[in-house]
Amino acid sequence: MHPGNDMTLAQLSDEILVAHVARGDSAALETLYERYASTVLGISLKIIGDQAVAEDVLQETFWRVWRHAASFQAQLGSFTSWLFRITRNLAIDMYRQRSTRPPSLDTVDDGSEFDQIPDPTANVAEQAQSSLRYQQVRKALATLPMLQRQVIEMAYFSGMTRQEIAEATGEALGTIHTRARLGLQKLRLELEKQEFEG
Amino acid sequence: MDKNLEELLTFYALDALTDEERELVEAYLIEHPEAREQIQELSQAASALPYSATPVRPSARPKQLLMERIEADQRKRSSIPNRSSHVRPNWLENIFWGSNRFAFGALSLVIAALAIGWVVILNKEVSRLRGEVSVLGDALLAQARSLEQINQSIDQLNAELPQQPPSAVRTIEFNGTTVQPQAYGQLIADPNSTSAVMVVTGLAPLQPGIVYQVWLIQGDTPTSAGLLTVDADGQGVLLLVSDTTIGSFNALGISVEPEGGSQQPTGDIVVLGDL
Repeated sequence: MHPGNDMTLAQLSDEILVAHVARGDSAALETLYERYASTVLGISLKIIGDQAVAEDVLQETFWRVWRHAASFQAQLGSFTSWLFRITRNLAIDMYRQRSTRPPSLDTVDDGSEFDQIPDPTANVAEQAQSSLRYQQVRKALATLPMLQRQVIEMAYFSGMTRQEIAEATGEALGTIHTRARLGLQKLRLELEKQEFEG
Repeated sequence: MDKNLEELLTFYALDALTDEERELVEAYLIEHPEAREQIQELSQAASALPYSATPVRPSARPKQLLMERIEADQRKRSSIPNRSSHVRPNWLENIFWGSNRFAFGALSLVIAALAIGWVVILNKEVSRLRGEVSVLGDALLAQARSLEQINQSIDQLNAELPQQPPSAVRTIEFNGTTVQPQAYGQLIADPNSTSAVMVVTGLAPLQPGIVYQVWLIQGDTPTSAGLLTVDADGQGVLLLVSDTTIGSFNALGISVEPEGGSQQPTGDIVVLGDL
């Protein structure tokens, strides 16, 4: 692959790259991988807690992007929404296969292990953008009352249903509904204030 | 709006419903456009949740395995086997054993004669093409020799060029001082480069007349790297440009200065950290 092609692909939007992937362009998939592998692995690791298994989910996520790129429809949502949904579903399925109980969030992801190993393939602008999004979302989540944040993270990162959350927390179903709704509404307002762009 | 189903909308946005519940909600959404708007707002927040997970750089293994799978898939797609079923139809038996067999025999002789003539012509064409291939082969060999000479020249030049250090982008975190302990920042830079990106949160918005100024410090000597503007939430991004490489500095700081900045730090130091 010529360096010139690498630079051209790196400048393309996610949606155009997916269209290239749908036509069998493996270089386009490689560009998407370089762009989002760290985020995908972070999501997977947060759910599974085992780096080797999380890396299997990473590989399988992009394999599915390769196989199903033609089914992606930009008018239904962004590429990242589609990508992260695949990741989350695979990670939760993988976790459930390895454990009989729904995963808990006892291990708090406080961001203290932010990877600082030099990355020779890093695009500084993309890395800065990723760093900003990460800080914005964590700051917005930090404004939520702890119990609202807990319900949202149990639902999203553990894949627990309302009933499972109510059982795990010992709270009534109505309380779980209220916390989730208020929490998501507050999260949306906080992200709007920060002009978050996903 | 149905109260029971309204309670499910939040968990639909979080993709945390059972299959039955999801089908109920989707059927409901078709009939109730006002609910679709609510789902869209909730989904905007839910779609940001993945970004709260700390990014982790993977090892080389998953990418290597992925690309091997893709390569195998591409090879499989490009080799499409031809299969046909051999079914002899009844009309074929009629030609060989029916009343038209003599006419068919004469026609076969004519076709055979034409085929022999065609083979003779093709043989002459093949001989001509073999001659051309031989000429092209000689030309290819000459070009291969030229290419080898060019590659040798390139190798020689590479050996003479000074070795360049590999790119090494780093992310370095900073915290606020006792003046503003809630402040937090990250510097994203290649130490061999003369530019870097700084992202800061938690700084208190300033009153008119004073500004935040960023300093790159070498030994005891601070050099101004620019003025930082923060929004109402205390967030700011600054592109730093220096005359020397970022790696030549040993510390970074942010101070409060009069509007327009200062030659040296004069006000409170609000962020300080080692590079």
